[in-house]
Amino acid sequence: MNRIIALLISTLLPLVFSHHAVAQTQAYQLGMGLKVNDGFTLGGYFSTELVQGDKVKEFIVDDVAVMAYGSFDNNFSYLIELESIEAYAVNFESDTTASNLPPTIERLYGDYKFSDNVSIRIGKQITSIGYWNLQPINVLRETTSNPKYSYEMFPKFLTGVDIYGYTSFDDDLTYHVYLQGSKDIDEDNINIKIDSHTGFSLEKEINDKWKMGGSLGKFAEIDDTRTRYFQLNARMDDSRYSLISEAIINNQDVRGLGSVKSKAFYLQGEYRVKPRHAVITRAEYFTDGKTATQDKIAVIGYSYRPVFPVSLKIEYQWHSDSGDNRLLSSFSVLF
Amino acid sequence: MRIATLLILLMLTPLLYAADYAVVVARSSQITRLEIDNIKDIFLRKRNFESGIKLVPVNLLGDDAMRRNFEQEILQMDRETISRYWVSNHFQGISPPATQASLLSIKLFVERVEGAIGYLPLEMIDSELKVLYEF
Repeated sequence: MNRIIALLISTLLPLVFSHHAVAQTQAYQLGMGLKVNDGFTLGGYFSTELVQGDKVKEFIVDDVAVMAYGSFDNNFSYLIELESIEAYAVNFESDTTASNLPPTIERLYGDYKFSDNVSIRIGKQITSIGYWNLQPINVLRETTSNPKYSYEMFPKFLTGVDIYGYTSFDDDLTYHVYLQGSKDIDEDNINIKIDSHTGFSLEKEINDKWKMGGSLGKFAEIDDTRTRYFQLNARMDDSRYSLISEAIINNQDVRGLGSVKSKAFYLQGEYRVKPRHAVITRAEYFTDGKTATQDKIAVIGYSYRPVFPVSLKIEYQWHSDSGDNRLLSSFSVLF
Repeated sequence: MRIATLLILLMLTPLLYAADYAVVVARSSQITRLEIDNIKDIFLRKRNFESGIKLVPVNLLGDDAMRRNFEQEILQMDRETISRYWVSNHFQGISPPATQASLLSIKLFVERVEGAIGYLPLEMIDSELKVLYEF
Protein backbone atom coordinates (compact mmCIF):
# COMPACT_ATOMS: atom_id res chain seq x y z
CA MET A 1 0.00 0.00 0.00
CA ASN A 2 2.83 2.43 0.90
CA ARG A 3 4.40 1.66 -2.47
CA ILE A 4 1.14 2.64 -4.19
CA ILE A 5 1.02 5.92 -2.27
CA ALA A 6 4.68 6.67 -3.10
CA LEU A 7 3.98 5.98 -6.78
CA LEU A 8 0.95 8.27 -6.73
CA ILE A 9 2.89 11.09 -5.09
CA SER A 10 5.76 10.76 -7.56
CA THR A 11 3.25 10.87 -10.42
CA LEU A 12 1.49 13.96 -9.11
CA LEU A 13 4.54 16.02 -8.09
CA PRO A 14 5.64 16.84 -11.66
CA LEU A 15 2.19 18.33 -12.22
CA VAL A 16 2.64 20.69 -9.28
CA PHE A 17 6.06 21.92 -10.24
CA SER A 18 5.67 22.15 -13.97
CA HIS A 19 6.18 25.61 -15.48
CA HIS A 20 2.61 25.54 -16.78
CA ALA A 21 1.35 24.81 -13.29
CA VAL A 22 3.15 27.69 -11.58
CA ALA A 23 2.01 30.12 -14.25
CA GLN A 24 -1.65 29.45 -13.56
CA THR A 25 -1.77 29.22 -9.74
CA GLN A 26 -4.94 30.91 -8.49
CA ALA A 27 -5.66 32.58 -5.15
CA TYR A 28 -6.54 30.06 -2.44
CA GLN A 29 -10.08 30.10 -1.12
CA LEU A 30 -11.06 28.08 1.96
CA GLY A 31 -13.17 25.07 1.01
CA MET A 32 -12.27 25.25 -2.67
CA GLY A 33 -8.78 23.75 -2.54
CA LEU A 34 -5.58 25.18 -3.96
CA LYS A 35 -5.93 25.09 -7.71
CA VAL A 36 -2.44 24.98 -9.18
CA ASN A 37 -3.68 24.41 -12.69
CA ASP A 38 -6.41 22.42 -14.42
CA GLY A 39 -4.40 19.27 -13.84
CA PHE A 40 -3.87 19.68 -10.12
CA THR A 41 -6.04 20.98 -7.29
CA LEU A 42 -4.99 20.16 -3.75
CA GLY A 43 -7.47 20.00 -0.88
CA GLY A 44 -8.20 18.20 2.33
CA TYR A 45 -10.34 18.08 5.42
CA PHE A 46 -10.33 17.10 9.05
CA SER A 47 -12.87 16.62 11.81
CA THR A 48 -12.85 16.15 15.56
CA GLU A 49 -15.66 14.60 17.59
CA LEU A 50 -16.55 14.50 21.26
CA VAL A 51 -18.98 11.73 22.24
CA GLN A 52 -20.56 11.49 25.69
CA GLY A 53 -22.99 8.72 26.69
CA ASP A 54 -23.54 6.09 29.35
CA LYS A 55 -21.44 3.55 27.45
CA VAL A 56 -18.97 5.83 25.73
CA LYS A 57 -16.99 8.97 26.52
CA GLU A 58 -14.37 9.75 23.91
CA PHE A 59 -12.64 12.41 21.87
CA ILE A 60 -11.65 11.50 18.32
CA VAL A 61 -9.66 13.22 15.63
CA ASP A 62 -11.77 11.30 13.18
CA ASP A 63 -10.67 12.19 9.68
CA VAL A 64 -7.45 13.73 8.48
CA ALA A 65 -7.41 13.65 4.71
CA VAL A 66 -5.65 15.14 1.72
CA MET A 67 -7.03 14.97 -1.77
CA ALA A 68 -5.88 15.96 -5.23
CA TYR A 69 -7.75 16.07 -8.49
CA GLY A 70 -7.61 17.53 -11.94
CA SER A 71 -8.13 16.94 -15.62
CA PHE A 72 -5.48 16.29 -18.26
CA ASP A 73 -7.34 16.98 -21.46
CA ASN A 74 -10.89 17.63 -22.51
CA ASN A 75 -12.15 14.27 -21.34
CA PHE A 76 -9.93 12.66 -18.70
CA SER A 77 -9.88 13.53 -15.00
CA TYR A 78 -8.69 11.88 -11.81
CA LEU A 79 -9.07 12.07 -8.04
CA ILE A 80 -6.98 10.66 -5.23
CA GLU A 81 -7.78 10.91 -1.53
CA LEU A 82 -5.62 9.64 1.31
CA GLU A 83 -7.15 9.54 4.75
CA SER A 84 -6.19 8.66 8.32
CA ILE A 85 -9.41 7.45 9.94
CA GLU A 86 -9.63 7.83 13.72
CA ALA A 87 -6.17 9.34 13.56
CA TYR A 88 -6.15 9.98 17.31
CA ALA A 89 -8.63 8.89 19.99
CA VAL A 90 -8.88 9.42 23.72
CA ASN A 91 -11.21 7.08 25.62
CA PHE A 92 -12.15 8.77 28.91
CA GLU A 93 -13.86 5.60 30.24
CA SER A 94 -10.76 3.43 30.01
CA ASP A 95 -8.35 6.37 30.19
CA THR A 96 -6.51 5.19 27.08
CA THR A 97 -5.35 6.81 23.87
CA ALA A 98 -4.88 5.34 20.43
CA SER A 99 -3.54 6.67 17.16
CA ASN A 100 -3.86 5.48 13.61
CA LEU A 101 -1.86 7.88 11.49
CA PRO A 102 -0.84 5.79 8.44
CA PRO A 103 -3.16 6.93 5.67
CA THR A 104 -5.27 4.61 3.58
CA ILE A 105 -6.51 5.14 0.05
CA GLU A 106 -10.04 6.44 0.49
CA ARG A 107 -10.62 7.18 -3.18
CA LEU A 108 -8.49 6.61 -6.27
CA TYR A 109 -10.11 6.82 -9.68
CA GLY A 110 -9.99 8.12 -13.19
CA ASP A 111 -12.92 9.45 -15.19
CA TYR A 112 -13.32 9.48 -18.93
CA LYS A 113 -16.18 11.56 -20.33
CA PHE A 114 -17.34 10.47 -23.77
CA SER A 115 -20.29 12.86 -23.61
CA ASP A 116 -22.83 14.14 -21.08
CA ASN A 117 -24.69 10.88 -21.66
CA VAL A 118 -21.83 8.44 -21.17
CA SER A 119 -18.89 8.69 -18.77
CA ILE A 120 -16.88 5.95 -17.17
CA ARG A 121 -15.19 5.99 -13.76
CA ILE A 122 -12.67 3.28 -12.88
CA GLY A 123 -11.07 2.75 -9.48
CA LYS A 124 -12.00 3.06 -5.82
CA GLN A 125 -14.89 5.46 -5.53
CA ILE A 126 -17.95 6.30 -3.46
CA THR A 127 -20.87 4.08 -4.44
CA SER A 128 -23.56 6.07 -6.27
CA ILE A 129 -26.42 5.25 -3.94
CA GLY A 130 -28.69 7.97 -2.57
CA TYR A 131 -27.64 11.36 -1.21
CA TRP A 132 -26.04 10.81 2.18
CA ASN A 133 -23.44 8.43 0.82
CA LEU A 134 -22.22 10.99 -1.72
CA GLN A 135 -21.50 13.63 0.94
CA PRO A 136 -20.01 11.38 3.60
CA ILE A 137 -17.62 13.73 5.39
CA ASN A 138 -18.45 15.57 8.59
CA VAL A 139 -18.01 19.11 7.27
CA LEU A 140 -20.55 18.61 4.47
CA ARG A 141 -23.21 17.20 6.79
CA GLU A 142 -25.44 19.06 9.21
CA THR A 143 -25.15 16.41 11.93
CA THR A 144 -22.07 14.87 13.51
CA SER A 145 -23.57 11.39 13.29
CA ASN A 146 -24.57 9.39 10.23
CA PRO A 147 -27.87 7.53 10.07
CA LYS A 148 -27.45 3.75 10.38
CA TYR A 149 -28.97 3.54 6.90
CA SER A 150 -25.75 5.02 5.51
CA TYR A 151 -23.21 2.55 6.93
CA GLU A 152 -25.04 -0.68 7.81
CA MET A 153 -26.96 -1.52 4.67
CA PHE A 154 -24.75 -1.24 1.56
CA PRO A 155 -21.05 -0.88 0.68
CA LYS A 156 -20.11 2.78 0.89
CA PHE A 157 -17.29 2.26 -1.58
CA LEU A 158 -16.91 0.54 -4.91
CA THR A 159 -13.61 -0.67 -6.33
CA GLY A 160 -14.65 -1.17 -9.89
CA VAL A 161 -16.42 0.54 -12.76
CA ASP A 162 -19.25 3.06 -12.80
CA ILE A 163 -20.82 4.09 -16.12
CA TYR A 164 -22.93 7.20 -15.68
CA GLY A 165 -24.47 10.23 -17.30
CA TYR A 166 -27.71 11.90 -18.33
CA THR A 167 -30.23 9.69 -20.07
CA SER A 168 -30.81 10.56 -23.71
CA PHE A 169 -34.60 10.67 -23.32
CA ASP A 170 -34.88 12.94 -20.25
CA ASP A 171 -32.56 15.92 -19.62
CA ASP A 172 -33.25 15.78 -15.88
CA LEU A 173 -32.69 12.08 -15.37
CA THR A 174 -29.23 10.70 -14.57
CA TYR A 175 -28.17 7.08 -14.28
CA HIS A 176 -25.32 5.01 -12.83
CA VAL A 177 -24.51 1.39 -13.66
CA TYR A 178 -21.79 0.04 -11.37
CA LEU A 179 -19.84 -3.17 -11.13
CA GLN A 180 -17.23 -4.59 -8.76
CA GLY A 181 -15.65 -8.01 -9.24
CA SER A 182 -12.90 -8.05 -6.62
CA LYS A 183 -12.13 -7.03 -3.04
CA ASP A 184 -11.76 -3.32 -2.26
CA ILE A 185 -8.50 -1.40 -2.35
CA ASP A 186 -7.46 -0.80 1.28
CA GLU A 187 -10.44 -2.66 2.66
CA ASP A 188 -9.52 -2.14 6.34
CA ASN A 189 -11.77 0.91 6.54
CA ILE A 190 -14.56 -0.44 4.39
CA ASN A 191 -17.93 -0.68 6.14
CA ILE A 192 -18.92 -3.99 4.44
CA LYS A 193 -16.16 -6.21 3.09
CA ILE A 194 -17.28 -7.55 -0.27
CA ASP A 195 -15.88 -9.24 -3.34
CA SER A 196 -18.63 -8.47 -5.83
CA HIS A 197 -21.24 -5.77 -6.31
CA THR A 198 -23.49 -4.88 -9.22
CA GLY A 199 -26.28 -2.35 -9.36
CA PHE A 200 -27.79 0.69 -11.00
CA SER A 201 -29.31 3.91 -9.75
CA LEU A 202 -31.50 6.65 -11.21
CA GLU A 203 -31.87 10.25 -10.07
CA LYS A 204 -34.58 12.61 -11.29
CA GLU A 205 -34.43 16.37 -10.80
CA ILE A 206 -38.12 17.19 -10.66
CA ASN A 207 -37.61 20.96 -10.33
CA ASP A 208 -35.18 23.39 -8.67
CA LYS A 209 -36.30 22.21 -5.25
CA TRP A 210 -37.25 18.56 -5.50
CA LYS A 211 -35.19 15.52 -6.49
CA MET A 212 -35.82 11.84 -6.14
CA GLY A 213 -34.22 8.56 -7.10
CA GLY A 214 -33.49 4.99 -6.24
CA SER A 215 -31.09 2.09 -6.60
CA LEU A 216 -31.31 -1.62 -7.19
CA GLY A 217 -28.42 -4.02 -6.78
CA LYS A 218 -26.76 -7.01 -5.19
CA PHE A 219 -23.45 -7.69 -3.46
CA ALA A 220 -21.60 -10.64 -1.94
CA GLU A 221 -19.66 -10.31 1.32
CA ILE A 222 -16.43 -12.18 1.90
CA ASP A 223 -18.25 -14.31 4.52
CA ASP A 224 -20.56 -15.49 1.70
CA THR A 225 -23.57 -13.44 2.78
CA ARG A 226 -25.43 -12.44 -0.38
CA THR A 227 -27.58 -9.31 -0.35
CA ARG A 228 -30.09 -7.89 -2.80
CA TYR A 229 -31.19 -4.31 -2.09
CA PHE A 230 -33.86 -1.87 -3.19
CA GLN A 231 -33.33 1.75 -2.15
CA LEU A 232 -35.30 4.99 -2.56
CA ASN A 233 -34.35 8.61 -1.86
CA ALA A 234 -35.98 12.05 -2.05
CA ARG A 235 -34.95 15.54 -1.05
CA MET A 236 -36.24 19.09 -1.07
CA ASP A 237 -34.01 22.15 -0.75
CA ASP A 238 -35.37 25.60 -0.13
CA SER A 239 -33.49 28.74 0.87
CA ARG A 240 -34.46 28.10 4.52
CA TYR A 241 -35.64 24.49 4.69
CA SER A 242 -34.23 21.15 3.61
CA LEU A 243 -35.88 17.78 3.80
CA ILE A 244 -34.09 14.55 2.99
CA SER A 245 -35.27 10.98 3.28
CA GLU A 246 -33.86 7.61 2.25
CA ALA A 247 -35.04 4.04 2.74
CA ILE A 248 -33.65 0.61 1.87
CA ILE A 249 -34.77 -3.00 2.07
CA ASN A 250 -32.17 -5.78 2.00
CA ASN A 251 -32.96 -9.43 1.28
CA GLN A 252 -30.03 -11.49 2.52
CA ASP A 253 -28.96 -15.10 2.20
CA VAL A 254 -26.79 -15.78 5.23
CA ARG A 255 -24.78 -18.97 5.61
CA GLY A 256 -26.23 -20.99 8.49
CA LEU A 257 -29.15 -18.63 8.92
CA GLY A 258 -31.04 -18.79 5.63
CA SER A 259 -32.97 -15.83 4.21
CA VAL A 260 -33.37 -12.73 6.35
CA LYS A 261 -34.61 -9.23 5.72
CA SER A 262 -33.08 -5.93 6.92
CA LYS A 263 -34.59 -2.45 6.63
CA ALA A 264 -33.44 1.09 7.30
CA PHE A 265 -35.08 4.47 6.93
CA TYR A 266 -34.42 8.04 7.95
CA LEU A 267 -36.11 11.39 7.54
CA GLN A 268 -34.14 14.53 8.29
CA GLY A 269 -35.38 18.11 8.37
CA GLU A 270 -33.21 21.20 8.50
CA TYR A 271 -34.35 24.74 9.25
CA ARG A 272 -31.83 27.53 8.71
CA VAL A 273 -32.77 30.00 11.42
CA LYS A 274 -30.23 32.44 10.03
CA PRO A 275 -27.84 31.91 7.09
CA ARG A 276 -25.13 30.41 9.36
CA HIS A 277 -27.32 28.76 11.98
CA ALA A 278 -29.45 25.67 11.48
CA VAL A 279 -31.60 23.41 13.62
CA ILE A 280 -31.79 19.77 12.54
CA THR A 281 -34.10 16.92 13.49
CA ARG A 282 -33.85 13.33 12.30
CA ALA A 283 -35.92 10.20 12.83
CA GLU A 284 -34.40 6.79 12.05
CA TYR A 285 -35.60 3.23 11.95
CA PHE A 286 -33.25 0.30 11.55
CA THR A 287 -33.75 -3.45 11.75
CA ASP A 288 -31.02 -6.01 11.00
CA GLY A 289 -32.24 -9.52 10.21
CA LYS A 290 -28.72 -10.96 10.34
CA THR A 291 -28.05 -9.94 13.95
CA ALA A 292 -31.73 -9.74 14.98
CA THR A 293 -31.26 -6.18 16.25
CA GLN A 294 -33.52 -3.18 15.96
CA ASP A 295 -33.14 0.48 16.78
CA LYS A 296 -35.26 3.61 16.59
CA ILE A 297 -33.31 6.83 16.87
CA ALA A 298 -34.38 10.45 17.23
CA VAL A 299 -31.84 13.23 16.78
CA ILE A 300 -32.02 16.93 17.45
CA GLY A 301 -29.06 19.10 16.60
CA TYR A 302 -27.71 22.56 15.99
CA SER A 303 -25.18 23.54 13.35
CA TYR A 304 -23.16 26.74 13.12
CA ARG A 305 -21.01 27.61 10.14
CA PRO A 306 -18.98 30.83 10.50
CA VAL A 307 -18.22 30.19 6.84
CA PHE A 308 -19.57 27.20 4.93
CA PRO A 309 -16.34 25.12 4.89
CA VAL A 310 -16.09 25.38 8.71
CA SER A 311 -18.68 23.52 10.74
CA LEU A 312 -19.44 23.40 14.47
CA LYS A 313 -22.20 21.00 15.44
CA ILE A 314 -23.87 19.59 18.51
CA GLU A 315 -26.62 16.97 18.71
CA TYR A 316 -28.39 14.69 21.10
CA GLN A 317 -29.51 11.16 20.15
CA TRP A 318 -32.30 9.15 21.77
CA HIS A 319 -32.16 5.39 21.06
CA SER A 320 -34.65 2.56 21.68
CA ASP A 321 -32.19 1.37 24.31
CA SER A 322 -31.74 4.45 26.47
CA GLY A 323 -28.26 3.20 27.40
CA ASP A 324 -27.18 4.19 23.88
CA ASN A 325 -28.38 7.78 24.25
CA ARG A 326 -25.55 10.21 23.67
CA LEU A 327 -24.42 13.77 23.12
CA LEU A 328 -22.16 14.41 20.16
CA SER A 329 -20.31 17.53 19.13
CA SER A 330 -17.82 18.14 16.37
CA PHE A 331 -15.60 20.65 14.65
CA SER A 332 -14.66 20.14 11.02
CA VAL A 333 -13.00 22.05 8.20
CA LEU A 334 -12.71 21.53 4.46
CA PHE A 335 -9.59 23.02 2.89
CA MET B 1 -56.87 58.33 -26.73
CA ARG B 2 -56.95 55.08 -24.80
CA ILE B 3 -55.65 53.20 -27.83
CA ALA B 4 -52.82 55.70 -28.25
CA THR B 5 -51.83 55.29 -24.56
CA LEU B 6 -51.90 51.52 -24.96
CA LEU B 7 -49.74 51.70 -28.05
CA ILE B 8 -47.18 53.92 -26.31
CA LEU B 9 -47.06 51.51 -23.36
CA LEU B 10 -46.59 48.58 -25.70
CA MET B 11 -43.75 50.39 -27.43
CA LEU B 12 -42.07 51.23 -24.12
CA THR B 13 -42.33 47.74 -22.65
CA PRO B 14 -39.38 46.27 -24.59
CA LEU B 15 -37.28 49.23 -23.47
CA LEU B 16 -38.17 48.61 -19.82
CA TYR B 17 -37.18 44.93 -20.11
CA ALA B 18 -34.34 45.31 -22.58
CA ALA B 19 -31.45 42.94 -22.06
CA ASP B 20 -28.10 44.36 -20.97
CA TYR B 21 -25.93 41.26 -21.32
CA ALA B 22 -25.59 38.17 -23.46
CA VAL B 23 -24.15 34.71 -23.21
CA VAL B 24 -21.69 34.34 -26.07
CA VAL B 25 -19.45 31.90 -27.90
CA ALA B 26 -16.95 32.43 -30.70
CA ARG B 27 -18.42 33.18 -34.13
CA SER B 28 -16.93 29.93 -35.46
CA SER B 29 -18.68 27.81 -32.80
CA GLN B 30 -21.21 25.21 -33.97
CA ILE B 31 -23.54 26.12 -31.11
CA THR B 32 -26.35 28.35 -32.30
CA ARG B 33 -28.75 28.62 -29.38
CA LEU B 34 -29.00 27.54 -25.73
CA GLU B 35 -31.89 27.65 -23.31
CA ILE B 36 -31.45 29.15 -19.87
CA ASP B 37 -31.47 25.70 -18.18
CA ASN B 38 -28.65 24.51 -20.47
CA ILE B 39 -26.56 27.60 -19.65
CA LYS B 40 -27.18 27.11 -15.94
CA ASP B 41 -26.05 23.47 -16.13
CA ILE B 42 -22.94 24.43 -18.10
CA PHE B 43 -21.85 27.09 -15.60
CA LEU B 44 -22.58 24.73 -12.69
CA ARG B 45 -20.41 22.13 -14.48
CA LYS B 46 -23.28 19.63 -14.54
CA ARG B 47 -23.01 19.46 -18.30
CA ASN B 48 -19.77 19.61 -20.22
CA PHE B 49 -20.61 19.10 -23.88
CA GLU B 50 -22.66 20.75 -26.60
CA SER B 51 -22.70 19.77 -30.26
CA GLY B 52 -19.92 17.29 -29.48
CA ILE B 53 -17.55 19.97 -28.17
CA LYS B 54 -16.20 20.09 -24.61
CA LEU B 55 -17.32 23.42 -23.17
CA VAL B 56 -15.11 25.81 -21.20
CA PRO B 57 -17.30 28.23 -19.21
CA VAL B 58 -15.61 31.42 -18.07
CA ASN B 59 -16.70 33.75 -15.28
CA LEU B 60 -15.78 37.33 -14.50
CA LEU B 61 -13.50 37.41 -11.46
CA GLY B 62 -14.80 38.99 -8.25
CA ASP B 63 -18.06 40.64 -7.38
CA ASP B 64 -18.89 42.74 -10.42
CA ALA B 65 -22.52 43.83 -11.06
CA MET B 66 -22.56 41.86 -14.31
CA ARG B 67 -21.58 38.64 -12.54
CA ARG B 68 -24.22 39.28 -9.85
CA ASN B 69 -26.76 39.79 -12.60
CA PHE B 70 -25.72 36.56 -14.30
CA GLU B 71 -26.00 34.64 -11.02
CA GLN B 72 -29.46 36.03 -10.32
CA GLU B 73 -30.89 35.78 -13.83
CA ILE B 74 -29.28 32.62 -15.17
CA LEU B 75 -28.09 30.55 -12.22
CA GLN B 76 -30.98 31.80 -10.07
CA MET B 77 -28.83 31.39 -6.99
CA ASP B 78 -27.47 33.81 -4.38
CA ARG B 79 -23.78 33.99 -3.49
CA GLU B 80 -24.23 31.91 -0.32
CA THR B 81 -25.92 29.08 -2.23
CA ILE B 82 -23.32 29.20 -4.99
CA SER B 83 -20.52 29.07 -2.43
CA ARG B 84 -22.13 26.00 -0.77
CA TYR B 85 -22.52 24.38 -4.14
CA TRP B 86 -18.85 24.73 -5.09
CA VAL B 87 -17.55 23.69 -1.68
CA SER B 88 -19.62 20.48 -1.94
CA ASN B 89 -18.38 19.94 -5.48
CA HIS B 90 -14.74 20.46 -4.44
CA PHE B 91 -15.09 17.23 -2.43
CA GLN B 92 -16.33 15.53 -5.63
CA GLY B 93 -13.33 16.81 -7.56
CA ILE B 94 -15.22 19.45 -9.54
CA SER B 95 -13.92 23.03 -9.71
CA PRO B 96 -15.85 26.21 -10.55
CA PRO B 97 -15.46 27.66 -14.05
CA ALA B 98 -12.27 29.50 -14.93
CA THR B 99 -12.25 33.23 -14.25
CA GLN B 100 -10.91 36.22 -16.14
CA ALA B 101 -10.06 39.52 -14.55
CA SER B 102 -11.69 41.87 -17.07
CA LEU B 103 -14.42 42.01 -19.67
CA LEU B 104 -11.84 42.37 -22.39
CA SER B 105 -10.02 39.23 -21.27
CA ILE B 106 -13.34 37.31 -21.24
CA LYS B 107 -13.97 38.48 -24.79
CA LEU B 108 -10.51 37.36 -25.94
CA PHE B 109 -10.84 34.06 -24.04
CA VAL B 110 -14.16 33.26 -25.72
CA GLU B 111 -12.82 34.23 -29.14
CA ARG B 112 -9.62 32.17 -28.88
CA VAL B 113 -10.31 29.11 -26.69
CA GLU B 114 -12.17 26.26 -28.37
CA GLY B 115 -15.45 25.54 -26.59
CA ALA B 116 -15.27 28.70 -24.44
CA ILE B 117 -18.57 30.22 -23.36
CA GLY B 118 -18.92 33.47 -21.41
CA TYR B 119 -21.12 36.49 -20.88
CA LEU B 120 -20.57 40.13 -21.80
CA PRO B 121 -22.41 43.47 -21.99
CA LEU B 122 -24.23 43.80 -25.30
CA GLU B 123 -22.17 46.84 -26.32
CA MET B 124 -18.98 44.71 -26.30
CA ILE B 125 -20.34 42.12 -28.67
CA ASP B 126 -19.01 42.36 -32.21
CA SER B 127 -18.77 40.16 -35.28
CA GLU B 128 -16.19 37.87 -33.61
CA LEU B 129 -18.85 36.58 -31.21
CA LYS B 130 -22.16 34.79 -31.45
CA VAL B 131 -25.01 35.56 -29.06
CA LEU B 132 -26.71 32.50 -27.57
CA TYR B 133 -28.94 34.11 -24.96
CA GLU B 134 -29.70 37.67 -23.85
CA PHE B 135 -30.51 38.61 -20.26
